[in-house]
Amino acid sequence: MEYLTVNTLSVESGTCTRPSKLWEDFARAGCGRSRPGKTRAFSDAGEGETGDSRRLLRTTGQMTGLRGPSHGRDCRPATTGWWAGVLASLMLPLLGTGCGQTAAASYRLNLVESAKQQLKPEQEQQVANILAALFGTPDEPFAPAECGLDEAKLKLAAGPVRSDIVGRKNGLYREHCAHCHGVTGDGMGPTAAFLNPYPRDYRPGVFKFKSTERADKPTHADLVMVLRNGLAGSSMPSFALLSDAKIESLAEYVKYLSMRGEVELALMRAFFELDDEDQGKLPEDRDFLIDEIVMPVAESWQAAEDALIDVPEMPADIDMAASIAKGKELFYGNKANCVKCHGVTGLGDGQVNDYDDWNKVVVQAYKTVEGSLEQAGETSTWNMDADEAAEHRAELAWLDRYQRVLDGNALPPRTIRPRNLREGVYRGGMRPLDLYYRIHAGINGAPMPAAKGTVPPEDIWHIVNYIRSLPYDFNGTLGVDRPMMARDRL
Amino acid sequence: MSTIPTVRQHLLLMFVAVLLATAVSSASSAAEWASLKGRFVFDGDAPEPATITADKDVAVCGKYKLVNEELVVSDGKGLANVVIFVRSKKVSVHPDLEDGSKADAMLLDNKDCRFEPHIGFVQTGQTLTIKNSDPVGHNSNIATMKNAPSNSLIPSNGSTDVVFGRDEAIPATVTCNIHPWMKAYLVIRPNPYGAVSAADGSFEIENLPVGEELEFQLWHEKGGYLDAFTLDGKKTKAKRGRIDLTVKSGGTDLGDIVIAGKVFQ
Repeated sequence: MEYLTVNTLSVESGTCTRPSKLWEDFARAGCGRSRPGKTRAFSDAGEGETGDSRRLLRTTGQMTGLRGPSHGRDCRPATTGWWAGVLASLMLPLLGTGCGQTAAASYRLNLVESAKQQLKPEQEQQVANILAALFGTPDEPFAPAECGLDEAKLKLAAGPVRSDIVGRKNGLYREHCAHCHGVTGDGMGPTAAFLNPYPRDYRPGVFKFKSTERADKPTHADLVMVLRNGLAGSSMPSFALLSDAKIESLAEYVKYLSMRGEVELALMRAFFELDDEDQGKLPEDRDFLIDEIVMPVAESWQAAEDALIDVPEMPADIDMAASIAKGKELFYGNKANCVKCHGVTGLGDGQVNDYDDWNKVVVQAYKTVEGSLEQAGETSTWNMDADEAAEHRAELAWLDRYQRVLDGNALPPRTIRPRNLREGVYRGGMRPLDLYYRIHAGINGAPMPAAKGTVPPEDIWHIVNYIRSLPYDFNGTLGVDRPMMARDRL
Repeated sequence: MSTIPTVRQHLLLMFVAVLLATAVSSASSAAEWASLKGRFVFDGDAPEPATITADKDVAVCGKYKLVNEELVVSDGKGLANVVIFVRSKKVSVHPDLEDGSKADAMLLDNKDCRFEPHIGFVQTGQTLTIKNSDPVGHNSNIATMKNAPSNSLIPSNGSTDVVFGRDEAIPATVTCNIHPWMKAYLVIRPNPYGAVSAADGSFEIENLPVGEELEFQLWHEKGGYLDAFTLDGKKTKAKRGRIDLTVKSGGTDLGDIVIAGKVFQ
């Protein structure tokens, strides 16, 4: 039952046991190899639990569902996992009826990273518990004070869509964002598979379009701008019709999900990296946890506000024709080297086999799994001693799980296309300043490198001017008469 | 009254002695420093490395004989590019080597459309200089887990400096997005105790604290964590490539560390 907890399906403990019971029956009927002992945690979560223990139990329920890929042989073929997830989401209203209450949402664990780090089930449970204690749930989010997040803003964005005061609506994130970005902010909402590019997965804390250096986080204003303007050429729409307060609240919530995701990644890596002694401190010692795991994340976000790129103004009396000519020279030259990826024609066809960082993670994971499985298949086991055989079986079990986690929890990797510069459509904004930022700092998470330090500021302005001239370049010298036709050619 | 100490006094004395011993050994400067040496040996028939056909900047990169460098074995079966480093957090570091910023810069060169070296070792605080000796432009995209990611354009004859503030548990990849076949690794550690085996398979880590049991980790690009090998003629298991070693006064030579070829298939 690997999709028992697709975003909204995990059932809040202690309030309504019926949906989980129904689900269990459904699961039993559908799957020959269901595990009653494992699924019971949903209905076992006793009534009347309050406070922390209740939160913990909810997490336990979530974990039980999530553990699916590691133990239970799912009755569905792994490759249909995604569809099963969509199906499961659609079934939610059915399950919820009869109790008069919708199921509470829960966060989805980063199973791809967990499988990569070979976390044991109890370690996964620890990660989930720690995250719940630090960041709450999708309905009741909070964050350690060190994160500097405004809880009032989070509250407005969190939870199911509802209204408690006339004219005020809560649950903005689920109303406007979750269907693509997912309740967890993992970029795996129900519509994600149908979009190109895929919606952003916030969890690695990497954002492309910002006014800060490549390695830095975006500023709050950067996130607000993306929300307000959308990202031209992608599925991200403009939310300019929302009030400032609502946009503020959503930007804060994106930061919250991102910090939570980064802490989750750091925790999972810590189980691999820390000595046994320090590992033990993770669930026990809150100060250690805050200092070692949370602080580096929180600090990086706070530092962004003062890390703006210093942009010298373009001279007002610039000779535009000369600047464009100089920009063209730089575009094709060895220093800026734009031509290598954006192509001789500027159509973005110079380098078409590369991946962005999010997709690269999946590509590399599949490579690991497939390579190791092939090797394991060629390993003869007949002369192994008991220990070696046990190890071999453990390795196979891990690879098997890893593969199913990838099939069910990652979208099929897609290559990234360098921007076609003859269309005049730029994701991160069309102002000359936006293009300056992109060239100066590169694009974090994408192959686009930073020109900073290599190309002086005045030359960056020349490149900006040349690029802005490209959509109007009808001279046909490159065999491209009109941008429209250029698109057809691709 | 007897002058012979009672059992209890004995225990107390021993306890004090143990306390003293721990205090001494955990002090930041050990009394003596020595090196750990050894040689990684590939057991089996190494496959010929696959040739890479340059499809970018062919006029320049096409001139060089580029091969896949995942597995490099010398004629004498020496296994190059094995990473060995101290994994223990608690380790006495030689006072002269503690501050990485005082160490000479580590050089990573873009040369002949490949990275030289293929795997480099850097200490936190130490400067990494990335250079481009080629007539074509490169970029060096460093994918780190904890450090800030960096990806700079490096024009012909240009260079850029990077300093890592935090250590990395697994080697970070360096790639060139313009020439996708180019790949290198950086081992980024909080102390200077690590090495990458040379072409003949040999390695040496200098100035390790004598008498301190340390956990080392062994990693290879193709073989991952090296968890099974023959050391001193004995079959040895090292879960996730982790092995405890103590350097003796005057230095320790591990001799040949033989790794079965099938690990690298």
